[in-house]
Amino acid sequence: MNFLFLITVLLYLATTIFHVLYLTFGERSDAVSIRSRMEMIAFWMTILSFGILTLFIILWWIKQGYFAITKWSDSIAFLAWTITLVYLIIVRLTKLRTLGSFVMPVAFIFILISYSFSETTSHRADIFTTNWVIPHVILIILSYASFIAAFGFGLMYLIAEKKIREKTQTLLYNILPPLDVADELGSIFIFLGVILLTIGVLVGSFLPTYLKDLPWNWYDPKVISTLVTWLIYVVHICIRQFWGWRGRKAAFLSILGFLAVLCTYVGVDLTLDSIHEFQ
Amino acid sequence: MNNIVSIGTSHHIAPIEFREKLAFSEEQLIESLHNLRNSYHLKEAVILSTCNRVEVYAVANPQMITESPTKTLLDFLSHYHRIGADILKKWSYLHQNIEAIQHLFRVTSSLDSMVVGESQILGQVKEAYDISRSAGGSGTILNRLFTKAFSVGKRIRTETTIASGAVSISYAAVELAKKIFNTLEQKTVAIIGAGEMSELTAKHLVANGVSKVIVANRTYERAVNLAKKFNGIPVSYDENLDFLIDADIVISSTEAPNYMIQRKPLADIMRKRKHKYMFLIDIAVPRDIDPDVSKINHAFLYNIDDLEAVVASNLKDRYEEADRAEKIVTQEAQRFHDQLQILEVNPTIKALHQQFQDIADVEIQECLNLANLSKTQESAITSMANAIVKKLLHHPVQNLRHSVNDGNADHSQYVHALRELFALDEKYDKEQE
Repeated sequence: MNFLFLITVLLYLATTIFHVLYLTFGERSDAVSIRSRMEMIAFWMTILSFGILTLFIILWWIKQGYFAITKWSDSIAFLAWTITLVYLIIVRLTKLRTLGSFVMPVAFIFILISYSFSETTSHRADIFTTNWVIPHVILIILSYASFIAAFGFGLMYLIAEKKIREKTQTLLYNILPPLDVADELGSIFIFLGVILLTIGVLVGSFLPTYLKDLPWNWYDPKVISTLVTWLIYVVHICIRQFWGWRGRKAAFLSILGFLAVLCTYVGVDLTLDSIHEFQ
Repeated sequence: MNNIVSIGTSHHIAPIEFREKLAFSEEQLIESLHNLRNSYHLKEAVILSTCNRVEVYAVANPQMITESPTKTLLDFLSHYHRIGADILKKWSYLHQNIEAIQHLFRVTSSLDSMVVGESQILGQVKEAYDISRSAGGSGTILNRLFTKAFSVGKRIRTETTIASGAVSISYAAVELAKKIFNTLEQKTVAIIGAGEMSELTAKHLVANGVSKVIVANRTYERAVNLAKKFNGIPVSYDENLDFLIDADIVISSTEAPNYMIQRKPLADIMRKRKHKYMFLIDIAVPRDIDPDVSKINHAFLYNIDDLEAVVASNLKDRYEEADRAEKIVTQEAQRFHDQLQILEVNPTIKALHQQFQDIADVEIQECLNLANLSKTQESAITSMANAIVKKLLHHPVQNLRHSVNDGNADHSQYVHALRELFALDEKYDKEQE
């Protein structure tokens, strides 16, 4: 089991390397054929990694005997899986393979974190047996994956805009989407993410009523951190709708939002005590 | 030996005054193609005549030619256009075999064009070839050669980037617009002032889907006149630039001595258009648009120098790619040349086999008629005779094939010798046809 997980981690590492190479060769005009080869390899590596990760997760669930996503390291692996899935769906719909160079490294980092912490043994707390926990976790993970896609579009926007303003003609510029596409798609995924996060949080807030032992605590660091994340994205949607803020500012906000997600999901779990701490 | 030969002149070596003397009209083309076949005894011919080049491709007839086929082409051109052979020689190039093949491939790949990567030449060569084919000018070899030349031309354009990147100011503007907007449909372009360049750019933008054109001028009549060309909306302006609120792309080329579009008013306009992206192209000298405008969010400003730099960088990329394209052309030409030569020896090999087999068959039959043999004996004699034929021919055929691939050996001499020695031509060539 552990061996399969290690292979998955290495595959994600290879995928990330090829995606980064693809982007690096994008700067060189004499490397057109190398670049298109890198693009192909990176894409098929993504599919392979995704397949192996899917296999791993299914085997893991069978071994555990339940949908093992409530443990922190498991949920992080599941997030990496969801990021890859969302990326593949985006490629299918828009053919924007370049996005992979921005989101696949993130997926790799999550897989790596998951692998490093999978050793820490934990007992499944009884509170997590309730049926409402699963949709709560899945919805929030889906929202995180949407935010990470939006983060990728934000980065692509910023690079493309910089290239247009600098008036430099590199090939990198050819593999990035037009500004309005990066901007629109970024905002669509933020909108989607906010909806998923809102429902996920609402589902979670009902949990204490079902579980008498679970105290509802506003001061729970994870709750506060999630609210901050939620606020950043809601502000993003509002200023876009009412003040027409788009482009660079929107891109910066999507990066800020991504950092908030990281704090909520990784930072809080590793440092602070919380009822949401999975172990 | 099927000699492919070509003669030609192009913008690289000859001035327009000379090229126009060599040019062919369509009727002249057809007349000349007949001429080349009948009076000059060439087996096949294609004539290409464009404003940048005049070229004749031909296949010599090995039986008829007494002098060198290149000289035949030279004679033909100098007689037909009444140009002294010396002048013609000075301003034209003569190619034979692999060089002629390579030259044609370079032409269809646009490596020999004024602007490397241009697409027109492929169509022009196709047209010339079609005329020749329907006039009976081209035959087996030139048909093969030109079909291959078209596919090499396409291959070069897809496998290298010599045809990518805008190499004119107006196309560069369109390409840049596509980096900002996903689609130009439903977009509005505003042209301020008149000028050839802005008209051309607007035309390209409309061809790429821009749906609405606003034409602004200080005098309303002028605006109306220009607007007619694009089905556009004429606007006259003084200080008020409110017509820019709808404009996604602005092309400015007025003769105003000062900045017409300044930062502050444009920032107001951007607010009114809810910060939708605006692409401003300033092709006026002195400039119309304050360079500070590019500091406004979502406003992207390119002036004439910026666009020229884009074009220069694209051209540089194309020339760098051209080296790669040349390598592909050389390879393809070599491969085509080899294939052609193998095709050339194949009929001889076949004829040789046929002749030997025929002799064996006759002798077997005679032998069988004389002696009264059992079935097993008959078949033993037959296979012995066949084996002798096979073994006798093994080395000659092998060496003939090797001579094709070996650059030093001249297989055409072998072919010639074989045909003479075994008298292959009379009987077996007829069977071939």
